[in-house]
Amino acid sequence: MVVAAVMQRPSAAWQELHRICPARWPEVSVRTDHTMHIAHLMVTPTTIRPVCLWLFGEAEYHFATLVTEELDDTWHLTYVFYDPACHGWAYVELQQPLAQTSVMSIGDTIHAADWHEREAEDLFGLRFEGHPKLGEFVLHENWPEGVNPMRKQFDAHAPFAYHQQKTVWQPPTIVEAPGAFIMPIGPVYSDFAESAHFVIETTGEDMLRVLPRFFYKYRGVEKIAEGKTADHALLLAERLSGSSAFAHGFAFCRAMESLCETEVPPRARVLRSAFAELERLRHHVSVITGICASTGLAVAQAQGAIIEEDFLRLTAQVCGHRYLFGVLKPGGLTLAPDEQRLGLLRERVHALHTRLEELHTGLRYSSSFLDRLEDVGLIRAEVVKAFGLVGPVARASGSTADLRKLFRYGAYEQVNFEVPTETQGDGYARLRILFREAAQSMAIIERLLDDVPHGPVSAEVIPRAGAALGFVEAPLGATFHWLRLDAAGRVQRYRVSTPSFRNWHAFRVAVEHFSFQDFPIVLATFGLSNAECDR
Amino acid sequence: MFNWFYTGLKTGIRTTPYPAKTDAAPGVSPGRPRATRFDAQVATVLAMRCPTGALVRHQRGVDVDYRHCVHCSRCRRDTGSAVMDWSQDYDWGALGAQAERAGHRFRDIFGHSLHIRFLDAGACGACMSEARQLNNPYYNIHRLGFFITPTPRDADILLVAGPVTDAMRIPLQKTYAAMPEPKRVVAMGVCALSGGVFGPSFISAGGVAQVIPVDVLVPGCPPPPLAILHGLLLAVERTMPSLLTMRVAETET
Amino acid sequence: MNAVAWLHVFLILGALNVAAAVFLNGATQRRTFILLALLESTALLMTGVATFLTDTATLQPLWQFPSLGRMQLRLMPFSALFLMVTAVVFAASLPFAAHDSAQYARAASRRLFLVLYQLLYLSMVVVFSADDVLSFLIAWEIMSLLVYGLVLFEHSRPASQRAAYLTLALSELGSVAAIIGLLLFAALTGHLDFAGLRAGSGVLSEGARWVIFLLTFYGFGVKAGIVPVNLWLPDAHAAAPRSVSPVLSGATLNLGIYAIMLVNMELLPTNQTAFGLVALITGSVSALIGILYATTQNDMKRALAHSSIENMGIVIAAFGASLVFASLNHPVLAGMALIVALYHMINHSVYKTLLFIGAGAVDAGTGTHEMNRLGGLIRRMPWTTLFFLGGIMAICALPPFNGFVSEWLTLQTMLRAAELTSVAVRVGFALSGALLALTAGLAITCFVMLFAMSFLGMARSKAASQAGEAPHAARIPMAALATLCLALGVLPTYVIPALDEVTAPLVHAHAVDSLVPAFFGANAAHPHGLPVGFIQQFHAIGAQVGQTLLPGRGLVVLHPGGTRNPVVFAMSTGYTLPVLAVLFLIVYVVFRGLTSGRQLQRRSVWAGGIRHFSPRTTYTATGFSAPVRVLFHTILRPIVSDDATETVGEHFRTVIRRETTEFHIVDRLTLRPVTHTVLWIAALLRRMHRGRVNTYAAYVLASLLVVLVVGLWPG
Repeated sequence: MVVAAVMQRPSAAWQELHRICPARWPEVSVRTDHTMHIAHLMVTPTTIRPVCLWLFGEAEYHFATLVTEELDDTWHLTYVFYDPACHGWAYVELQQPLAQTSVMSIGDTIHAADWHEREAEDLFGLRFEGHPKLGEFVLHENWPEGVNPMRKQFDAHAPFAYHQQKTVWQPPTIVEAPGAFIMPIGPVYSDFAESAHFVIETTGEDMLRVLPRFFYKYRGVEKIAEGKTADHALLLAERLSGSSAFAHGFAFCRAMESLCETEVPPRARVLRSAFAELERLRHHVSVITGICASTGLAVAQAQGAIIEEDFLRLTAQVCGHRYLFGVLKPGGLTLAPDEQRLGLLRERVHALHTRLEELHTGLRYSSSFLDRLEDVGLIRAEVVKAFGLVGPVARASGSTADLRKLFRYGAYEQVNFEVPTETQGDGYARLRILFREAAQSMAIIERLLDDVPHGPVSAEVIPRAGAALGFVEAPLGATFHWLRLDAAGRVQRYRVSTPSFRNWHAFRVAVEHFSFQDFPIVLATFGLSNAECDR
Repeated sequence: MFNWFYTGLKTGIRTTPYPAKTDAAPGVSPGRPRATRFDAQVATVLAMRCPTGALVRHQRGVDVDYRHCVHCSRCRRDTGSAVMDWSQDYDWGALGAQAERAGHRFRDIFGHSLHIRFLDAGACGACMSEARQLNNPYYNIHRLGFFITPTPRDADILLVAGPVTDAMRIPLQKTYAAMPEPKRVVAMGVCALSGGVFGPSFISAGGVAQVIPVDVLVPGCPPPPLAILHGLLLAVERTMPSLLTMRVAETET
Repeated sequence: MNAVAWLHVFLILGALNVAAAVFLNGATQRRTFILLALLESTALLMTGVATFLTDTATLQPLWQFPSLGRMQLRLMPFSALFLMVTAVVFAASLPFAAHDSAQYARAASRRLFLVLYQLLYLSMVVVFSADDVLSFLIAWEIMSLLVYGLVLFEHSRPASQRAAYLTLALSELGSVAAIIGLLLFAALTGHLDFAGLRAGSGVLSEGARWVIFLLTFYGFGVKAGIVPVNLWLPDAHAAAPRSVSPVLSGATLNLGIYAIMLVNMELLPTNQTAFGLVALITGSVSALIGILYATTQNDMKRALAHSSIENMGIVIAAFGASLVFASLNHPVLAGMALIVALYHMINHSVYKTLLFIGAGAVDAGTGTHEMNRLGGLIRRMPWTTLFFLGGIMAICALPPFNGFVSEWLTLQTMLRAAELTSVAVRVGFALSGALLALTAGLAITCFVMLFAMSFLGMARSKAASQAGEAPHAARIPMAALATLCLALGVLPTYVIPALDEVTAPLVHAHAVDSLVPAFFGANAAHPHGLPVGFIQQFHAIGAQVGQTLLPGRGLVVLHPGGTRNPVVFAMSTGYTLPVLAVLFLIVYVVFRGLTSGRQLQRRSVWAGGIRHFSPRTTYTATGFSAPVRVLFHTILRPIVSDDATETVGEHFRTVIRRETTEFHIVDRLTLRPVTHTVLWIAALLRRMHRGRVNTYAAYVLASLLVVLVVGLWPG
């Protein structure tokens, strides 16, 4: 039984994959799963690159994630692509013996896969032949060379072993200009900021090159999830990023339900979507507040912070937790809010959104504020495509991709809503997207709550061995959770591809060639989460 | 600009009465389980339900260890008739193992003006979000003489969230070392207390106390703003500490 | 001994020193050279002192040319002042030069270097004491060639060659203009000696005066480094050997000032306000452009050289103000302005010599004067740093150092334009004053950068981290000059009367009484006396406190407001120094009292928690001056000549390269259009030369036709 009720039929182009690919590359075999709309393209080490390049280029598929798995004595690499036009999936799957650790790189051409390959190289010890920039990425200089924590034989629960190395990381400098110097930011910086390090190379006027260094917050979520039951792993999914906990929990549950073919009761489906939109609303208010703070607009910041806190309190009143932790469970929800609480939710969301619109009006008429955002932090449409950007950042630069609309999962098939798009790609476009998406979220909540089906809020999930992908449009964009359970119902592999991981990749493009004082503003308009990126 | 001025005035005062009075507004705290009396069989089932081992089965019921409790609600939802008591309080701050440092006169020096450096040692973002709320008009810690500072040079208190990842270990030590004496450390969130859901593991130290001495512990996942405020007030000895574990025997009195 | 006798002693010692340089070798050569240099400088100083004491012009005939008349030297307070400054600059620089000559491997090079150096000294003295056009010009040309030789001395470096040729070309261009101007002057008056010129100057027409003024002002201005004829200066001063730069900046620039003042004030007194305005505007614009380019340099010596343009601009502006005041019948104000000009010139010579010796010592210790490769020298060269800081404070015009006095007085003198009636002139003064004030502000930015980037922070190169302290031959002169900076700053009330002796014959009035009276002391002797009631009010609030305790008096600049309430600006650096000292002491005592019993805690530098803080992550001079570059983009207009990114694949960058070139605004507006035009014409001509016989035949035919048509045209 299909969990994700797919409304659209995949187009003929997707239907043809099983014919086109073997015709072009005789080594490639295609197995099509017509219920899930997944075409499994079984490739060989030599055909992996041409097939992926063809999918990304000619066939215009989007790159979702790279899943690296070590199963028994075989590497299983799954390159997940989806076609935003025809609503179908293409899993490019490669299997090779463990001893063979080299794979042809696609990241040198498909830039969206760059970080995925670097991560896999660092954590698994796979060598991606032809990738121009491998080396230290997730694990910093104090981690010993050649120890790959994602390998099966590595014990995740061994006590924290701190490896003090003599080598000191020196930021690689690529700017050649007289008097060029490095402006280091972080990892501990600003009043409240998630830990990350930025190397800014400059001659003083503008930022010639920005090199962000992440994974200061690498908590090894994917590794420590292994061997846990789904119920425990859900705790980790929720804590990937506190600011979009529900979205990640949702994606995890969807992967689980998809794998175990569980039908979520209608009431739970509606409420899940309503809560996801509630979280999106709060998240966007928080980012808007951050943008006001970055430009020093104190009253607007205070107004935004009041609305944010009101949302947090409302969430706690309706769901029992300010950040929606502990609300989800595979198969449904843990709690069944009564009509009175749902009434409160509906009424308060409307009132709060009215206040948010007032804030929007105020900001629209503050020219000094707009001056700081307009034409700052530009992301062009080509960059969205090349870097595979997702979420509000992509939609402010002309992208229309939104998994809610593309795949109509959960209760999104029941409501009509719009995916706002802007084309300017600057800071102000991103701000407008946030406000417009907040308005859509409010409308979705109202429509969903108009007619909440009655009945149970959860169904029983019977774990079984296998793997499935759960995907959700998180507040920051598309997130993909790959879950593989063993026969005992324990997690064998949990792979998360988050929107922040995607969008941080292109942050440097937006911020370079602007002056220092624009840095915090571009940072705020991206509104990304390092916890979500680093995992 | 006048528009903003007017908007500010129109909004009026929103600030919480805490710490002078208890703040009873709905939603300021997610609440947490209290030690509850059960018979032994039920207690065993409930303790088993806890994914983090915060519930400890006891002869007369279930004790709660707040260093591990992430208030995931698994002990109060879908449990049939046996439900843990749930308190909606927020004064959760407790003293660390080496809190009693005599002769520092910390309160005399910093009782009315205190600078806080926040440090993210691998937190999921919810803790930071809650700490950031301290600056919003609802909590407005400036009225208590608390200020957030961007540099540890000016800081009297280090407010740390997160389980302390491998990469953040040295920055944490450096930040602590850069602060002038006398100084105190407040660890907020279950991750910073025990590693929470993340650790201890190969990459996380499993708590701030593994790396630097900690004076005040604020449990919660995440601790709501008022709990953090309680912890900060506790660090300057302006309020009474709470306890990290709650036993059934204590509920009887 | 009289002045002429001392001058003879100087010349003999100078000749001996040349001999010492030629015939001795090694350490003996250096020691003898230093000893003789100090002795001859003392003799020259005594020449000046003796001239001041006698206070009259002394003439000394040199030789007689049958057709050209008598050539002679003269000594008078005006030239004696320049001689004394020259003596101080050379006394400070020659030991460093002698010590530093050891860097040249070949003995012949060392000899040649010291001989050139010594000859430059002698030729300059002759320029300052010449009393006729011919000997003046001969000495001037010799001096110019010696400067060329010294700039070219380290000719193996391409930069030196380019700079030397530019120096030669522009000085000769200037010389030719000045010679034409002077010869025109001589031809019109019929005299070659200065006395004759002065006596005959009355007959000159206004047009002739204009021509002579413009030719000599900009001709000699080449040496003084005023816009637009200063292109050579930064290159030459930066490329010159490190022990030559102090003299180039501290002494040879003064030659330009001397020559301009000599011709346009002493020999050809003017009543043209326009001359003064030209000098005023040229000076202020030079000052601003000089400091702007100084601020944006990455090289210590280049920055110092550009700053010389700035300081000379201030001197020329004050000189221009003096001309304006003189032409509008304000002789006292003219005297004030001229005193200020000379005071600033002296100050500049002292602190710039100090700073260039410091830069030379840094160069000697680290092998570079590129600020982006220095840093942290305070730990390696503490004494150099201390003395250099004195020079920096002086050039930033911070009290109690000398730069403050002359810059304060310059701005005050500019404000006195309020007493003039012409609106146009007042506007000119207001604009110049604004430019000079902006210059003073930028100077602080510039020299904070110069000092901080070189001496503070972390060493940005291995050479800087292993620098050695400067030799005694540099350190002792620097200490002496720093002390002199302080003395000139604290005791202006003793310097100004001496300068008044110099200026009084030129402007026919004594300005000293209006600059250095007793604080608020006014009596009938003072033309700008204060109302009695006004003085009493000031006395009542204690404005005279300390006057009887401390020697010296204050500097007072009086602006006539209403008769009851004149506007007074009074200042005494002599009093300020003890007051500042006491204030610092009080603050220190209070600080110690408040912090007694507190423990000092030392922590490492906070760098955001990164593990290692490298020199690459500290500010460079380029970064420091970036805001100035952005603000004054219109003037500086840097051209990004190469902004390239090399990538692997489409998005992986391996190199981001940015090269910017700056064409100096003067270069951009004057030389470059000329060279472009010439090149364009040359290109056109080349296009005509196609090398085909037919084409040439056509040219010949066309020329013939043109000639015929022109020749046969009726009428």
